[in-house]
Amino acid sequence: MRTLVVGMGLLLASPAAAQQSALLPPYQGAYQPHGVDEIGLWREYDEDERTLGASSLVVRDEPLSTYLRRVLCDTVGEDRCASVRIYIVRAPIFNASMAPNGTMRVFTGLFLRVRNEAELATILAHEFGHFERRHGLDKFRARRSASDAAAWMALLTSLGPTYQTMQSYQNFQLAVYGGLFRYGRDQEREADRLGIAYLNQSHLQPRSASAVWQHVMEEAEASARAKGLKKPNFRTIAFADSHPPDAERAAYLADLAAPDGPDREDGTERYRTALAPFLPQFLDDQIKLNDFGASDYLIQNLATAGWTATLWLKRGDLYRTRGNPRDLSAAADFYASAVKLDPTLAEAHRGLGLALMKTGRPSEAAASLQTYLSLRPDAVDAGMIKMLIPGDTTK
Amino acid sequence: MKSFTRAIALAVGLIVFVGTPALAQERSATRQGFELAPNSGKKILVFRPSISVGAQSTAGMFEPNGEWTEQAKANLQAALAKAQTSLGNAVIVAPEAYGDDAQKLQEHMQLFAAVSDAVIQYQFFVGNRLPTKKRDNKNAVFDWSLGKGVANLPGAKDADYGLFLFTKDAYGSTGRKMLQVFAAFGGISVRSGVHQGYAGLVDLRTGDLLWLNADQEMGGDVRETDGSEKRIHQLLEDFPGSTAPQPQAQPKP
Repeated sequence: MRTLVVGMGLLLASPAAAQQSALLPPYQGAYQPHGVDEIGLWREYDEDERTLGASSLVVRDEPLSTYLRRVLCDTVGEDRCASVRIYIVRAPIFNASMAPNGTMRVFTGLFLRVRNEAELATILAHEFGHFERRHGLDKFRARRSASDAAAWMALLTSLGPTYQTMQSYQNFQLAVYGGLFRYGRDQEREADRLGIAYLNQSHLQPRSASAVWQHVMEEAEASARAKGLKKPNFRTIAFADSHPPDAERAAYLADLAAPDGPDREDGTERYRTALAPFLPQFLDDQIKLNDFGASDYLIQNLATAGWTATLWLKRGDLYRTRGNPRDLSAAADFYASAVKLDPTLAEAHRGLGLALMKTGRPSEAAASLQTYLSLRPDAVDAGMIKMLIPGDTTK
Repeated sequence: MKSFTRAIALAVGLIVFVGTPALAQERSATRQGFELAPNSGKKILVFRPSISVGAQSTAGMFEPNGEWTEQAKANLQAALAKAQTSLGNAVIVAPEAYGDDAQKLQEHMQLFAAVSDAVIQYQFFVGNRLPTKKRDNKNAVFDWSLGKGVANLPGAKDADYGLFLFTKDAYGSTGRKMLQVFAAFGGISVRSGVHQGYAGLVDLRTGDLLWLNADQEMGGDVRETDGSEKRIHQLLEDFPGSTAPQPQAQPKP
C-alpha cells in the first residue's frame, strides 16, 4: 500500500512543482511557535543559536552583516525579515541554511559563487521560504511518522523472520526512506518557488535565480574536467538527494521569473564593494579545498570585471599549491601580474620569489624575496624566507 | 537539515533491534590527592547546565519538549543549590557572558564536553578503553585538565571550583511503550526512555578535572521537584566531601 502511494507521489511531484504559479502568501505577523513539537524544536534551536552566537567560526563584521540584512529585508520585506537573525559562518562551501526558529546561517563559500546582489537575494529568499513555510517542523514530523512506521514493520518482521518477510521489510524501508527524501526535495522546490516570488516583487532582477544554478553546474563541470572525471549529470535524482537536480531548478526558476525582470538592476557594484575586503580570505579558504578546477573557475569568474592584484595573487597561490613544474612557471607569471598592478602587495612578492626559486631562477627569486622582507619586515615567516636568500646572513 | 534524514535511517535500524546494554553504566572518579572537606565553605561556580528533556518517539527519535525542559531546569537548579548548601559549599550561578568572554566560555564548554567524552569513552566504561587509561584505573590515577585558561572565564575570579552539568532525558512515548510491550511478547527487548547525565568539577585555578561522574541510566523524574532532587543526588554521588550523604544532618538556622 505504502509503496504504491509513494510511487504515485513520485510520478506527480516533479511537473506539479514547476507549474504552480509563484504567488506570495499573505504576511502572518511575527510568528511564535505553537504546540509541543514546535515549542520543543524552537527551544532546541534557541540553545543551538546561543552556541552559534559564541562560536569562533562566525565572521563578525558589522558592514558585511548589515549588508546581508539589507539584502534580505529588501527582498522579503521589512516586516518579514525582522524575525530572522543572520550568522556568517566561515566555511568554504556553497550553502546557507535556516533553522525553524529563524537562525539563518550563510556560509562564506556562498559569497564566491553568487555574482551580484540579485543572486545573493535568491539564496536568502529561498532560505526564508523554508522559515515562512515552517519546513523544519514539517520535516521533523515526517521523519517521526516514517520512522515510527518502519519501527513497527521491523518489529513485525523480526517476529516472523522468513526470507519473504525480510524482503518485504526491506522494500518497505526503502519506500519509506525514499518518500522522506522526496518530501525533503519537495520542500526545497516549494522554498524555491517562494524565493522567486519574493524576488519578483523586489527591485532586483529575478532571472538571476536561474543564473545561480547555471553557474553551479558550470563550476561542477570545471571541477570534474580538472579531475579527469566524466561530465556530471544534472538531471537525474539520486535516492538520497536532499535537493532537486540543478538543471531542474535552473529551468523552473527561469520559467517563474517575472517578465519585466530584465529591466531591473542586479546590484553588481554594491555586491562587489561589500565582498571586496573579504575576497582574499574567502579565496584562501577555497584554495585550501584542493579542488583545482572549481577554484580556477571561481577566480576567472571574479575576474570577468577586470583582473585585480588580489585575483592574480590568489590564482598564483592556486597554481603554486598544485605545484607541478608547469604550474610553478604559470604561478610566477600570475604573481608578476599582481606585482605590476600593486607593487606594495607583499604576498605577491613572496609568492613570486618562491615560484621563481623552484623554477631555477634563484637571483630573480632572491630579489623578490628581499622586496617581500622589506615590505613586511616582521612577517611570521621572515626567518624562514631569509634562509632562502643566498648570501643573506643577517638575522 | 540534510543530516537529519540520514540520522534516522540509522536510528530506526539500530534502536529497534539493539536491545539493552547489559550493565547499568555508572561510574565516577576523583583526581588523586584531591579532597574537599565538608563545610570548608568553598565557592562553586555552576556553568550554564546543558539540560534537555523530551519524549522518545516509537522509533527512538528524540522529541524535544520545551515545557519539560524549562521545568527541569528550574527544578535541577533548586535541587543543586540545596544539595551543595547541605555540604557547606556556596553555589554561584555563572554570570551571563557577552562578546569575547562569551566566546571564551563557549570554547571551554566545548572543551569540557570533549574531555569528559574522552574520559567516559576511554577511561570509564568497558568496550573502548585505552591501555594507558586501564593502567591509570588500576593505579587510581585520574589526570585530565582543561588548561589554565579557565581562570579567565567570567565569574572564575570569585569562585574556587567550576561545576559542569549535562543531562538528557527522553521519556518513552505511548507509542514507544506499546512497541516495547509488543516486542516483549516476541522475546525482543526494546528500551523505552533515555536518561543520561554527567557532572564534572574543575579547579578554576589550574583547570584540572577534579571529579567526574557519568551515568547512562539515571533515575529521578526531572520534571518534578522530588525527582530532580533524586537526580541531583545521583549526579553528585561520590561528590568530594559527600561520602556519607546525610540529608537530615544539617542544623542550619
